[in-house]
Amino acid sequence: MAAASRTVDAVWKLESARIIAGLVRLVRDVGLAEELAQDAFVAALEQWPEAGVPDNPGAWLMAVARRRAVDRIRRSQLLARKQEQLARELEREPDREPDDVLRLMFISCHPVLPTPARVALTLRLVGGLTAAEIARAFLTTEPRITGRITEAKQTIAARRLPFELPAGAELSTRLASVLEVVYLVFNEGYSASAGEDLLRPDLCLEALRLARLLAELAPHEPEVHGLAALLEIQASRAEARTGPGGEPVPLAEQNRARWDQLLIHRGFAALLRARDLGGTPGPYVLQAAIAVCHAQARTAQDTDWAQIAGLYAALELVLPTPVVRLNRAVAVGMADGPGAGLDLVDPLTGDPALRDYHLLPAVRADLLARLDRPAEARLEFERAAALTRNAAEREFLLRRAARLTGAAVPVRTLGQAAEEFLGRADLDTATLRSYGQTLRRLRLSLGDGLALAELSAAQVAAVFATAWDDAAARTWNRHRAAVGSFGAWAGRDDLTTEIARRVAPPSSPQAFDLALLWARELPLREHTLWRLLHESGAGAAAVLALNVEDLDLDDRRARSGRGWICWRAQTARLLPRLLAGRTRGPVFLADRRPGPARTPAAAELCPETGRGRLSYERAEYLFKQATGHTLRRLRP
Amino acid sequence: MRYLMTSLATDTAPDEKLFTEMAKFVEEMSAAGILLATGGLERGGVRLTSVGDEITVTDGPFAEAKEAVGGFALVEVRSREEAIELGRRFRRIVGDGVSVIQQVYGA
Repeated sequence: MAAASRTVDAVWKLESARIIAGLVRLVRDVGLAEELAQDAFVAALEQWPEAGVPDNPGAWLMAVARRRAVDRIRRSQLLARKQEQLARELEREPDREPDDVLRLMFISCHPVLPTPARVALTLRLVGGLTAAEIARAFLTTEPRITGRITEAKQTIAARRLPFELPAGAELSTRLASVLEVVYLVFNEGYSASAGEDLLRPDLCLEALRLARLLAELAPHEPEVHGLAALLEIQASRAEARTGPGGEPVPLAEQNRARWDQLLIHRGFAALLRARDLGGTPGPYVLQAAIAVCHAQARTAQDTDWAQIAGLYAALELVLPTPVVRLNRAVAVGMADGPGAGLDLVDPLTGDPALRDYHLLPAVRADLLARLDRPAEARLEFERAAALTRNAAEREFLLRRAARLTGAAVPVRTLGQAAEEFLGRADLDTATLRSYGQTLRRLRLSLGDGLALAELSAAQVAAVFATAWDDAAARTWNRHRAAVGSFGAWAGRDDLTTEIARRVAPPSSPQAFDLALLWARELPLREHTLWRLLHESGAGAAAVLALNVEDLDLDDRRARSGRGWICWRAQTARLLPRLLAGRTRGPVFLADRRPGPARTPAAAELCPETGRGRLSYERAEYLFKQATGHTLRRLRP
Repeated sequence: MRYLMTSLATDTAPDEKLFTEMAKFVEEMSAAGILLATGGLERGGVRLTSVGDEITVTDGPFAEAKEAVGGFALVEVRSREEAIELGRRFRRIVGDGVSVIQQVYGA
């Protein structure tokens, strides 16, 4: 990237949230606002390298985007006078209002959006990151991120989510959704869930910035300051929590001189602000208070574990998740001894939510080691190592396992037996894959190092209850048969004695009642499309490809390739209303004119309105939103 | 990444307008989570010089020090370009003078 375009990029990242937020207020459409902002960004890329960066680059970008917004509204010929009035009103609107960015965050973190979409959209709209940058941070592909963002924007448009600050009781649930997204971004950066590195500092910084911004925008919300405090203090340990080889260094062993005092102080200050606001402490304030306890201890020995255990008890009341219970057990294990900790951990081993959570066996292992039960501890460390997806952490756990001596008597283990069983030559691939799945779960849950002779039917039953209790009866029985087969081969016929076979309920195909659909008030375009699909029995792609000039309204049919698409009375009633006098171009049009970056061929555009052809994906999406089914269901 | 921006002291006294604009800028940058710390520095200060085993402490002001730092800002940004852009905005507010931007390592 040339120096000039890097400058434009830097300005963009500093300004885009406010620009996009201001535009959303003006045009009330997130997709269009982002497009207009992008246009302004492109204009800057073209002009700044020659003309120089303007004195107030943010205002320059906003002015360009706003001019395009007015132009675009003026150009559209529909409802000409109303649009003219709109355009004039838009010119009078102020560039920015203080709450714009906060409103934008409430939209991009709206609970109707799936969480990954919320994360991607927030980083895109509020963080100013490109799809490529987001993809890199989350170790995924650019098209996947672009897809998530596009879909999210469509949902926002389809649901007509308002650009408003939620009020009253709704505010706290909506705010929780925003805080969750920021916390997720931070955690993804802080404890990279996959890959070689344990930290992705860019994401941490992005989350910190969002949290600090939010604290300024919503200063009366204690939880906002709680989150900011929590992130500042966690970030203060970033340097100290990995060793020279990238391996994790546990809190107790970190060199506290490497903690960033500047961030710790910012964290303290944020927590004080939260406390000053009063009220019952929420989950982020409590977690921040715990983080502050750690930050205040000059050495690990000075840690006030009793206070931390108390804070976790309070946290468990407002956030009763298995992970919080596990953390509380760790604190209790430090305050009252490993036995007390283990008493709290053991009931968690049957929790399906923690089935693949590597920290559960890691915590158990640590407590067992301190109780001087090295053989069990070692098994648990190995299990934890097998469960983690992070390479540096796996190394660390395996080293801790190796440091525990004892239990070195050679016995046949579950891991070895499973490998031999699956290595047999007399099983076909499909069977092997199916058996492999079942045994993989047993090994992950019980540990490769478990002696086969000690494997009990009760343990197997517990694994089944945790892993597959919700599964279909067929799946349950398949896993049961796999264990039976493995047991018979290994001389352990008793393994399935505590698992009952399940009976499958009779299948009931989900009914789809067309009459109910037609009874609803449907948008004209969708109604026409769906009627036409139903009456003609033609494929959706062929119907969407129709142009106005292909239609023969009198004979109720249209030319399609070499054949005809024919319809009946209902479609015939709707079509003229949909066409509204258009004579050429696609019959079914998209909602908006395509952006300048993706101008389609002329044949795909309506010559009168400039709108593009409704895409197959969009048509499927709309039907799915309305009915939960695919368009095929419309065929008679 | 963090950058430290230091600005050389000038003789011109800041007027009311500069104060308001600067306060607004500082507030905006803090709100955006970018500005971590900022402050003005006294003229002169204390100078410590070590030669061999001997450490000399001298009180300022130092007539020979033409390029005395008058203020600093510690910012957390995503790129060098972002730091430069912030520096530009700062210079536009304060008028004639010199600032230096340096990346801070180990943080």
